[in-house]
Parts: sequence; structure tokens; C-alpha cells
Amino acid sequence: MQVAIKGNAIEGPPIKCLIVDDSAFARFHMRRLMDSFGNVQASEAANGNEAIREYRRVRPDFVLMDIVMPGLEGVEAVKEICAADPAAKVIMISSLSHKEKVAEAFAAGARYFIPKPVTTMVLREAIEEVLRAIGKDWPGATV
Amino acid sequence: MRLDFVKIFVDSTTELFQQVLGPAVNISSMAVKPSPVAGRDVMAVIGLTGESHGRVIFDMDLFTAVQLAGRMSGESFSGLTPLVRSTIAELASMAIGQAISRINDSGAKLTMSPPTVITGANLVSYDQCFETLVTPIATEYGEVRMNITIQELN
Repeated sequence: MQVAIKGNAIEGPPIKCLIVDDSAFARFHMRRLMDSFGNVQASEAANGNEAIREYRRVRPDFVLMDIVMPGLEGVEAVKEICAADPAAKVIMISSLSHKEKVAEAFAAGARYFIPKPVTTMVLREAIEEVLRAIGKDWPGATV
Repeated sequence: MRLDFVKIFVDSTTELFQQVLGPAVNISSMAVKPSPVAGRDVMAVIGLTGESHGRVIFDMDLFTAVQLAGRMSGESFSGLTPLVRSTIAELASMAIGQAISRINDSGAKLTMSPPTVITGANLVSYDQCFETLVTPIATEYGEVRMNITIQELN
């Protein structure tokens, strides 16, 4: 799907992220948040199967993954992504946040879980933590 | 009807609406009807399965849908664009997702389908055999009516 590069005013190589959500609004909202953070190159997928294809193509630094999607849903997609790339960094973002679902997401390989609705601060903290884990600095990071 | 679940759906939806639409969210009445009364311009439908089954339908007029989408996205819309439809679907999904999470954390098992947005249709005869709790929710952007049908599996 479409790729946009933003944040040219911030120096350093862009951080690559993959936004996976069947909701066009959720993808729009996430992309806007990424743009506001700056220096993020975001690609998108609307379901689990697209996410797996995009992940192989883009090799993002992190993935923002919804759970409830038609076709291959989020947890199954994370399992496949992490099986192919154990170093994959996935942040689950879902309105379903009961204990069992969160446990499933972590067991599948997710590193972080954010219940919807997502706030800018929580998302930014999660991304910074994920990037720190892979030794990447995010120019302009707050922490 | 699973009234214990229904209460969680109503409470979660009210809280979610307050979170994303602002504090001016009020429920003036609730009524049990023999079928959903959804029939306004825009309907978001979410199926429920698991130890109980049913459906939640949010319906609203076109003006309200456009206003709600504008509030959530920060954009200005002149009509029912794909992004408006998607925003209404996401609003419904977040509300019901939070409710299901609470229900499941209490030991029950419920799952939800991805939301479907229907426009220009009339669902009055859709579920005519199933008792429905109809809850009008007033927001500063207009009224959203919530129709909850949830039955025990036999």
C-alpha cells in the first residue's frame, strides 16, 4: 500500500513502521500520529495477510497491529511475522484488551499492548521503548 | 436477554463516548422493545458470539455521523465519505471491544465481529423475534441510539 515519508526537518535515517488495521480511520489516525512524531516512514496493511506481505517487503522497525480484522486477524498475523523474523517488534493496538487476549498477543510475540483509544503519549512511549530495545534512537525522542 | 451483559455494554459505551467525544454524554431513558428500532441514516452493526449471541446496532442520522467523524478525526466532512463510515465503525468497535473485554475478564466468553456500516437501509424487520434494549445516547454532536440484542445460547 501507499508509503509516505515525513519529518524531513529531523536528521537521521527514518524509522520504518507498518500500520495494520482494517479501519481506514484507525490507519488515518495512526499515520497522523506518526507524522506528528516526525522522521517516520509509514506503510499500511488492512488485514493480517497484507501485513505479512508488507512486513516481508518493508522490514519495518516496528509494527502497530490491530487484533479484530476480517480474514487473518492480528494475533495470528503476529505469530507468522515473528516465526519468520523472531526479532520483529510488534505493538498490539486493540479495543479488545481482556487478560486472555493480551496474553495471546504476548505469547504470539507482541512486545507491547495498547488498548484503544490510543493517546499520543502512550503510543510514543511504547514506540520509544521498542526502539530502545533495538538500540535505535528516535531523533527528538522525549525520553 | 443477558441484562448483566447489557449493563456492561451501556456503561462501556457511555465511558468511551465521554473519552473520545467529550463529557457531555447522557442517557435519558432505556426501553426493552420486541425488536431493534434502528432505522436512521447510518447504522454500525457488530455481531456477538460465544456463550451468548446477539448483535449491537448503533444508529444515527447523517448529520450526527458527519459531526462525530469530524470530532474524532479532526477533519471537516460534507457528507458520508468512506472515512466518515470508517470512523463510525471504529467508534462502535472501540465501545463494544471495551465492553467485551470487561465481560471476558469476569470469566465469560464473548467475541465480536468486525463492525459493518449500513446506510440507507431499514433494519426494523431484521431481528423482529429478538428482544432488544434500546438506549438513546445524547452527545453534543447529536443522538446515537444503541440497540442491544443478546441471548443465551440454547
